[in-house]
Amino acid sequence: MIAGLVLLAGGSVVGLFGSLLGLGGGILLVPLLTLGFGRPLREAVAISLVSVIVTSSAGAGVYLRRHVANLRLGMVLELFTACGALVGGLVAFALPVPVLEGMFAALLAWVAVSMLRRREPPPAVSAGAGAEVIPAAEETGGVGVGVGVGAGVPVQPALAPAMVTGAAGQGGAITFAQPMSFAATLSGPGYLVGRLGLGAVGAVFAGVVSALLGVGGGIVKVPLMNLGMGVPLKVATATSNLMIGITATSSAVIYLLRDEIDPYIAGPVALGVFVGASVGARIVNRVDTRLLRLLFVVVLLVTAVQMALKAVGM
Amino acid sequence: MKASISPPADSVPPSADDAAWRLESIISRLLVAGTYLAMALILAGVLLTLAAGIDPLAHETAPAFELAAIPSQIAAGDPLGFLWLGLVAVLALPLGRVVVAGVGFLAARDLRLALVSLAVLLVVVGSIVAAIRLEG
Repeated sequence: MIAGLVLLAGGSVVGLFGSLLGLGGGILLVPLLTLGFGRPLREAVAISLVSVIVTSSAGAGVYLRRHVANLRLGMVLELFTACGALVGGLVAFALPVPVLEGMFAALLAWVAVSMLRRREPPPAVSAGAGAEVIPAAEETGGVGVGVGVGAGVPVQPALAPAMVTGAAGQGGAITFAQPMSFAATLSGPGYLVGRLGLGAVGAVFAGVVSALLGVGGGIVKVPLMNLGMGVPLKVATATSNLMIGITATSSAVIYLLRDEIDPYIAGPVALGVFVGASVGARIVNRVDTRLLRLLFVVVLLVTAVQMALKAVGM
Repeated sequence: MKASISPPADSVPPSADDAAWRLESIISRLLVAGTYLAMALILAGVLLTLAAGIDPLAHETAPAFELAAIPSQIAAGDPLGFLWLGLVAVLALPLGRVVVAGVGFLAARDLRLALVSLAVLLVVVGSIVAAIRLEG
C-alpha cells in the first residue's frame, strides 16, 4: 500500500516541478523510476510516455480552446513525428539498455545546459522557461500543466481572436497574390510557415527521440518550428504540445502490446503527474522559479552523471 | 437593473473561420473531458489497488495486457480492469482527436488535411501491427 502512495507522490512531485519549470515529465520521470525505484529503463520510458500523453491531452485541450495551437500545421508535422516514433519504438527494443541510458544521460546534460543558458522570462507572464503546456489555471480548471522544453513562453491568453482567425487559407489576414503552396496553407495570422521539408525531417528525429527516451520531444520541435519554420514561439510551443499526444501514442502502443507497461505503476504515476501538474499550473505565477531552476540544473547534472555511470556499469 | 454588456469586438470570431473555430472547440472539449474520464478510471484502479493491499513494486513482471479481459475484470472489481481501461483511454484520446479533426477537414472539403489525418491513423495502426508481429 505504501509503495502505491509513494509512486503517486513521486508522480505528483514530477508533475509539480515539471509544471513550475516548464520541463517535460519524461526528463524527470525516467530517472525517478530507474534510479529511484529501480525499474527497468524500457518500463520507465513506457510509463513516462503515458504520463506525457496525459499532460499533452489536457494542455492541448486548453490551447485549442484558446486557439493558440496551429492544428493544421500540427497534424502535418505529427505525421512525421509518428513515423519517427514508430521507428524509435521498434529500435528501442533492439538497442542495448546501456546505450539508451547513455543517450538519456546526454539528454539530461543538454537540458541542464539549455536551462542555464536560457534568458529569464518575466515571472508575471511566464510559466517558466519553455513550458510546453502552460494554460492559466483559472482557464483550465486545474488541468493545465507544464511539460516539454523550449524557450520561454509567455502565459498569455490565446492570440487575440481577430488575429487567430486570420489563418491563411481560411479567409484570414494573410493574402497571397499567387496560388499558395501547401506550406503556406498551414500558415497562421502574421506568420508564414516555411521550410516544410526541414520541418518533416526534424519531426521524424523528434519522434525517434521521444520513443527512445520517453520524452515529449518539445526540445526538438519547438526550436524547429520557431527558428526553422518561422512559427512564433507561443504558437510553436502550443503546436508542439498538441503533437506530443500522437507522437507518444505511436510508440506507447508498441510498449503496451509488448507488456512493458505495468499498470500498477503507470496508474499512480500518471495520476500523480496529472495532479501535480494541475497544482503547478495554479501556483506558477506566484512562485519565483529562478532559484528553483538553478537547483534543478544541479539535480539534472547529478542525475546525468548517475545515469552515465549506470550506462557504463559502475 | 442588469446592464447589457456587448462582448468586445475582438472576441467574436469572423464567420469565415467559424468552422475552424468550432472544430478546435470540439476537439478541445474531447481532450479535456477525455482526460478527466481517464483519470477517474485510473483513480478508481489506484484506490482499489490500495484497498486490496497490492504492492505495485513487489512483482517482477508486468501483468500482461488483455483487452478482452477488461470488462470481466471491471465487473469483478479487479483494479487491473480499471487501470487498463484508464490507460487505454489515455492512449485513445489523441487518436480520437485525429479522427474528429479528419472528419472536420473532410466536412470542410479540405481533402489534403483529411488525407493527412488518415495517414496519421495508419501510422499508429502500423505501430500496432509491428508490435503484434514482434510479439509473435
